[in-house]
Amino acid sequence: MIAENSTQAFQWTYNENDQEFALHGSLRPQKAEELSNCISALDQSVSNVSGKFYVNVRRLVRMNNVAFHAIACKILDLVRGRSDLDVHVTTSSVVGWATRKFAVLETMSDKITVSEYDSEFYPGQSFVEDSEFIHVLRTQTKLTWKHEKDLLRQHGLKPGMQVADICCGIGDFAVLLQKEFSPDRLVALDHSKSSLDYARQVAADFGIKGIDYVFGDAADMLLEDNQFDFVTCRHSLQVFDRPELILKELFRICKPGGRIYVTNEKNSHCLGEPRGESIQWTYNEVAKLWHHFDMDIEIGPKSRRLLIEGGFEDVTIGSFMVTSTDGDPQGFADIIASWKNLFAGKMASERGDDAAFVERFAKGFDDHIFAALHPKGYAGWPIWVASGRKPL
Amino acid sequence: MLQMDLDIGDFCSNWAHCDLLSAYLARMVSHNRLDSLLFSNLYSSALNELLETVFRVHGKSGKLECSVRRQGGLDRIELVFPADEDTFRVYSEAIDKLSGKDAEKLYLEALFTEDEPDASLGLLELGVDYGARLAIDRAGDGRMCLVAELTLEDENE
Ligand SMILES: C[S@@+](CC[C@H](N)C(=O)[O-])C[C@H]1O[C@@H](n2cnc3c(N)ncnc32)[C@H](O)[C@@H]1O
Repeated sequence: MIAENSTQAFQWTYNENDQEFALHGSLRPQKAEELSNCISALDQSVSNVSGKFYVNVRRLVRMNNVAFHAIACKILDLVRGRSDLDVHVTTSSVVGWATRKFAVLETMSDKITVSEYDSEFYPGQSFVEDSEFIHVLRTQTKLTWKHEKDLLRQHGLKPGMQVADICCGIGDFAVLLQKEFSPDRLVALDHSKSSLDYARQVAADFGIKGIDYVFGDAADMLLEDNQFDFVTCRHSLQVFDRPELILKELFRICKPGGRIYVTNEKNSHCLGEPRGESIQWTYNEVAKLWHHFDMDIEIGPKSRRLLIEGGFEDVTIGSFMVTSTDGDPQGFADIIASWKNLFAGKMASERGDDAAFVERFAKGFDDHIFAALHPKGYAGWPIWVASGRKPL
Repeated sequence: MLQMDLDIGDFCSNWAHCDLLSAYLARMVSHNRLDSLLFSNLYSSALNELLETVFRVHGKSGKLECSVRRQGGLDRIELVFPADEDTFRVYSEAIDKLSGKDAEKLYLEALFTEDEPDASLGLLELGVDYGARLAIDRAGDGRMCLVAELTLEDENE
């Protein structure tokens, strides 16, 4: 259902399974009557519900007092009039005013609870936002940059562009972009506060100015439409459980004629010699482990299809391999060590893997490191790069 | 500093002007913040409440001036608009409420009133919820000045 005029665009949806009524968009009416359809929809939704009724305002970006008054009083009426009903309001940390504003509802009735939706935002979040992961990202970008510096040019990045790096992690890629391509504007967005803190600190320490680090949900950004010439999203479609939602947003913020650039892995294709078999076994298991947490670490070669289905044209895809012979075998070994730490550590134990499995699982990483550092060895980590143009 | 001048009649010809103007100015002032998107969203919300209040409560005719400036971590919004005695009283009563001890209670009362919310609710919200410092003054030429000083970003965050 959509109520729309030039400045107010808001929608509501009701999900019966979850007993959840969700409000989206911008809600700044002049008169409460403008919300009457929405309020009756709310009434109707709640009429068949008993127990807990959820009101989701995570994607409600703007709301004036007229709207707040109407919705808040409705919620209060509900819990006061119906002894069988509790209401839970879910807000988002991305929208700065929302939690504070809705929290006052809790002071009005103990049948209303309000919480900020921030953690368990997607299934793999606790791993990705773990401090251990910062180490993973740091070691990775150091080695991928050698390849990507040139690839980015081939995929259309030029100096002076308006660029966004979505799911920027700890921001090291943005720093490299800034130095190499001097974009006219560079926005770097992520949903991990600790990573952003880290990123801002690094930029400050290195005296790097002009990167706009912002907190946000890549699947629903506060950034406006059609703003960027080049939008990058690296190693992230593979951690979020609904990559198509992120792609839709990348498409939206990209200018018509601009390009988006994504990189993804297919971890089961990591390789090394000697000890190839053990290595391969472990990386096949990595794919299963990620899958267990609803993440697809095998997305790499699927990127082409994702972009085509996402409405992009002139889609190109290629791959490169970070290897132990790129000039920094120890750097390569460091990446693998950081993976071992996280995958055979926290992730395996959270899945409930037994000791025998973890031992064999860990061994494959050790063997990969062995191959990387072996004087006659060779170890590789393949990455798929795809880009597409938003139609004019 | 940024300033916009409008005829109050033009401004009040369309409710959407509050939203448009607050979104526009918020975008203009959001550069070089700790987080430009969070900031712009908060700023636009606060400014919109001020503009909606002026939209509802103002004197007959004259100019609306809106100027915004930044002083370090503090953002100052100044609105000058036509105001007769009754108009001025609405603002001064709201500011009196805010300076009292029970400002928060009064805000909650206004927020959950059974009736139509009072025109001054936005000002109470700014004072209590946004921790803004509000001040008013007579501006001569039949206008008044409303100043809001806001700290929207916590530097230590
Ligand atoms: C594997 S890391 C990649 C980080 C960075 N692009 C790099 O290559 O170093 C994935 C990142 O995506 C972020 N992320 C996942 N889902 C997100 C979402 N919905 N919105 C914003 N960030 C998200 C995580 O916080 C994490 O920093």
